[in-house]
Amino acid sequence: MKKDKNKSEDPLKVNRRHFFSQLSVGVGSLALGSLLIPDLFKGSTDNILSQPLGIPHYAPKAKRVIYLFQAGAPSQFETFDYKPVLRERMGEDLPDSIRNGQRLTGMTSGQDKFPLMPPKVGFKQHGESQTWISDFFPHIAKIADEITVVRSMHTEAINHDPAITFFQTGSQISGRPSMGSWMSYGLGSENKNLPSFVVLTSRGKGNSQGLYSKLWSSGFLDSKHQGVLLRSGKDPVLYLNDPDGLSRSDKRHLLDHVSSLNKLHHVDTGDDEIESRIAQYEMAYRMQMSVPDVMDISKEPQSIIDLYGEDCQVPGTYAANALQARRLAENGVRFIQLYHQGWDQHGNLHNEMKGQAKDVDQASAALILDLKQRGMLDDTLVVWGGEFGRSNYAQGKFDPENYGRDHHPRAFSIWMAGGGIKPGLNYGQTDDFGYNVVENPVHINDFHATLMHTMGVNHEQLIYKYQGRRFRLTDVAGNVIKDLLA
Amino acid sequence: MIDFAKNKWVDYVIFGLSLFLIFCLIFDSYIVLPRLVAWVGRWHPLVLHFPIVLLSICVFLGLANKKIPNLLFTVTVLLTLITAISGFFLGKESGVKGDLLQWHQWLGGALALSAAFWFWLDGITINNQIILKVIQVVIIGFVLFTGHYGGMVTHGEDFLALPIEKRQEKIPENPLIYKDVVSRILDDKCVSCHNPNKKKGELLLTSLDGIMAGGEVGNTVIPGNVDESEFIKRLHLSLEDEEHMPPEGKKQLNSNEIQILERWIALGASDTLRFEQLPKSESLAGLITGLMQPDRAEKWKKLPEIADSTLQNISSDYLTIRRIASNVNALSVDVFKPPTYDASLVTNLKRVAENIVELDLSSLPLSMEEMEFVATCKNLERLEIDKTPVGDAEILVLNTLSSLNFLKVFETNITDKSLESLSSLPSLKSLYIGRSAFTKGAINNLKIENPAIYISDGIDQEVETFFIAKDSVPKI
Repeated sequence: MKKDKNKSEDPLKVNRRHFFSQLSVGVGSLALGSLLIPDLFKGSTDNILSQPLGIPHYAPKAKRVIYLFQAGAPSQFETFDYKPVLRERMGEDLPDSIRNGQRLTGMTSGQDKFPLMPPKVGFKQHGESQTWISDFFPHIAKIADEITVVRSMHTEAINHDPAITFFQTGSQISGRPSMGSWMSYGLGSENKNLPSFVVLTSRGKGNSQGLYSKLWSSGFLDSKHQGVLLRSGKDPVLYLNDPDGLSRSDKRHLLDHVSSLNKLHHVDTGDDEIESRIAQYEMAYRMQMSVPDVMDISKEPQSIIDLYGEDCQVPGTYAANALQARRLAENGVRFIQLYHQGWDQHGNLHNEMKGQAKDVDQASAALILDLKQRGMLDDTLVVWGGEFGRSNYAQGKFDPENYGRDHHPRAFSIWMAGGGIKPGLNYGQTDDFGYNVVENPVHINDFHATLMHTMGVNHEQLIYKYQGRRFRLTDVAGNVIKDLLA
Repeated sequence: MIDFAKNKWVDYVIFGLSLFLIFCLIFDSYIVLPRLVAWVGRWHPLVLHFPIVLLSICVFLGLANKKIPNLLFTVTVLLTLITAISGFFLGKESGVKGDLLQWHQWLGGALALSAAFWFWLDGITINNQIILKVIQVVIIGFVLFTGHYGGMVTHGEDFLALPIEKRQEKIPENPLIYKDVVSRILDDKCVSCHNPNKKKGELLLTSLDGIMAGGEVGNTVIPGNVDESEFIKRLHLSLEDEEHMPPEGKKQLNSNEIQILERWIALGASDTLRFEQLPKSESLAGLITGLMQPDRAEKWKKLPEIADSTLQNISSDYLTIRRIASNVNALSVDVFKPPTYDASLVTNLKRVAENIVELDLSSLPLSMEEMEFVATCKNLERLEIDKTPVGDAEILVLNTLSSLNFLKVFETNITDKSLESLSSLPSLKSLYIGRSAFTKGAINNLKIENPAIYISDGIDQEVETFFIAKDSVPKI
C-alpha cells in the first residue's frame, strides 16, 4: 500500500485516529528535533503490512485458483455424504438431540414433522481412496483419487444471499472484497494483458437463485482488482472490436489524451480511483488483442472437445466455461470463478439434481484431467462446492419419489483438487444423520485461510486498512487446515 | 540538573538521551529508521559489554561505600544510554519483535533509565544511603536479566540451558533410523515434556531405553505391533481428546512424521537399523528420502542478489518477472506472446539468467536462439516450452540444466530422438510430453527405464474412452 486510502480520497477526510497518530509523531519530533536526523521519524501507519504486495509471502504451491461454484447449494446427501441411516430410519422424525435447536428457514420452520429422507440416487465407493460418490457423478467418480472431499464444511448463514456473500467475501454482509479481488490485490497479475480475476456464469435448469456482481466486487480495494465478468454469449466482452474507421493507432492517441486529462484531474483531487480508471482503460485496450485469442476454442482438438463433452462448444454452458477456465489459467489469470446456477432443490430434487449433475459432472472432471495432462494441476487449485448444505429431512409432504430439502448450514460437502492439496483424501465427518460435523470441522474462514495458504499468502498478513479498521479476508478468524495440504 | 558545578553539558546530554530513549520506547511502532541510523544499531553487540562491566564496578564501589570517580560514573551512564538506544535501533531491524526481544528491550530501557536516575540523584547530592543502595541493587538486577534475555535473543532460548548432545543439522548419508531420524522427530515435538527434567506421564523420550521402559500407562511401544502401541494410538486421537499427544497448543506431528514412527515401530523399533538396509518397497525408505532432499529455499539463498529496480526494468507488458517469494532472489518468469514477437524478448533476460528458477515460454514461436539462452539458466528448476515449434536439436542444448526437475514439452516437434536426452537430465522428476511426434513404444520404454520420472503423455486410455462415451448420467 503506497498511499493511505483515507487521506488520498479527500484531504479533508483525515480521521480522528489518523490525526492523533500524526500529531503524536509531530510533537515528539519537534521536542527532539535537534537530536534527530530530519526524516528519522517517518509516520508509518502501515507498518503492520511489512510484506510487499505482488509477491507471495512464501513459495506457493498454487499459482491460480479455478473455483467451480455450484450456486444454490447442492445437497450433500445426493452428492458426497453417504448416510445409510437415513434409509434405515426413513420417515422418522429428526431427533431433537440431533437438531439441537438449529434455526430453520421460513420454508420449513412451520412443519410439524421433519421426516428423515434418504437419497433416491445410489452411492458407490470409488478409487483407491474409497471415496463415496453418488451415481449422479460418474465422471467425477473416475477421478476420485485426484480430489479431496471435505464433508465437514459449515457456515453460519442459512439463506442464499448471505451465505454466498460469506463464501465469496468472508462476511455475510455485502461490501467486502471478493476472494479473487484479495488474491489480485495480494499477488498481482501474472499476465498484464488479462484481468487477474475473471468470472464466468452458467445456468442449469434447476431452481436457481440470483447472482449479483457484488459477489465479485473489489469492495474497498482498488477497483482494478474487481472480477471481470466475461459474458456467456457470442461476444465475451462487448464492443471489443474497434468501430469501423478507427485504427488502432487512433485509439492509442485517444487513450493517451484521455489519460493525460485524467492525470490532471488526479493531481487536483488526489482520488486514487482515477488512477484505477486509467489502468482499466489500458487493460481494455490490451484485452482487445488478448481476449479474442484466449476465448477462441476453434483450435482445440477433437479429443479435448470429447473430453469436456459436446456442450463445451455451446457458449454459455458450464462445459464451455470449464474449458475457457483452463484456457484462461494457461494465460496467467490468477483467479477464475465459475458459477453454475440452479442447485436450490426445495422440491423435485431427484430430477432437478440429475439435470444439474449432468451439466457439471463431465466438464468438472474433464477440467481436472486436462489440467493434469498439461502439468498444471500441481499449481492450480480447483474447488467445487456450494454455499451451504441441505436438510436431511424432507421439505413439505413426505414422498420418497418426489421430495425436496431445505437449507442446512451446519454440515455440507465440497471437493478440492490440485494446487498443494493432498489428493484422494476424505476429510471430516458428519454424524449418522449427516446433520452435525463430528470430526475435523472446516469453517468458511478456515477454508479461506487454507486457500490463501496454498497461494503462498499468510491470511493474517494480507491486510487492508479502511475507515480506520484493518480488514482481512478471514477478518479475525480462520486457521489453515494443515491436514489438507500436500 | 540542579548541580551545575559539574559539567552541565554532560547533564544535558544525559537528559536528552534519556528523553530520546523514552520517546523511542513509547513511539516504537511509528518509527521507521533511515539506513544510516539502522547501521548504528549494529554496534550494539560491541558497546553493550562496557556498561555491564562499568556498571558492575560502579555498583560495587557504591555498595562498598567507596567514592565513585566522577569521570567513570559519567562515562558509565553515557555508555548505558547509548547501548540502550543502539539496541533499540538494532531491534527495529527484526520487524515483529518476539517475546524475548520485548523483554530484553524493556529491561534494557529500564536499566538505562535507572542509571540516568542514579546519575541525577548523585548530581543533586542526595545522601540518603538507603535510596542509593536500593537503586544500585535494582541496577545490578536489571543488568543480570537484560543480559540474560539478550543472550537468549542472540544465541537461542536454550543456549543457557544444560548442555545436551547437539544433533546434526543434516541427515547424514545412510542414516541410522533411530538416531538420525526418529529421535530427531522426538526431540523436535516430544522431549520438551518427556525429558529427565520434566517427565510427564513418567515417560522419557530422550533415549531408546526410556522409550522401551514406557510410561505409567504401559504398552508405550510394542516393537512390531503398531496398533497396540499406546504411543501411536495417542498420536491418532482427535486433537480435542484429553489423551491426544502432543497436547493441544503444542507443535503437532505431521502425517509424514507419524508414518515414520509407525514404520519404525512396525520394523521392530531398533536403534541399529540403517537406511540402506531397508528394502526399496518399504515406505519408510521413501519417507526418509523425502527428508534428505536439500530444501529448495536453502539452494535459493546462494543465488546472486538482485535489485527490485532491475526486475522492473526487465518486465514489460508481455513479460512478467517476479520473486518466487518475498526476500528470495529466485525468479519466476512468464512470457506471453505479443502481437509482434522477437527473440530478444526472451534473450534480454540474460542479466538475470542465473536467478531464473521457473521459466514459462509456452506458446511462443521459439527458435534455437532462445533455447541457447535457456541453456544458460543453470539454476532452472521448471521449464515450460509446450506448444512451441522446438525440435530435437533444441532439446539437446538443455542437457546443461542440472537442476531441472519439471519440464513441459507437449505439442512440440520433438521425436523419439529427444527422449534419450530428456531422460538423462539428472534432476528430472516430471515430464509432460503428450501430443508430439513420438511413437507409443518409445514412450513406454522411457517409462519403464525411468520409473523415478513421472511421465505424462496424455490422459489414461481407459478414462478417456469413458469420457468420450456420450450420456454422462445413467438412466436411474
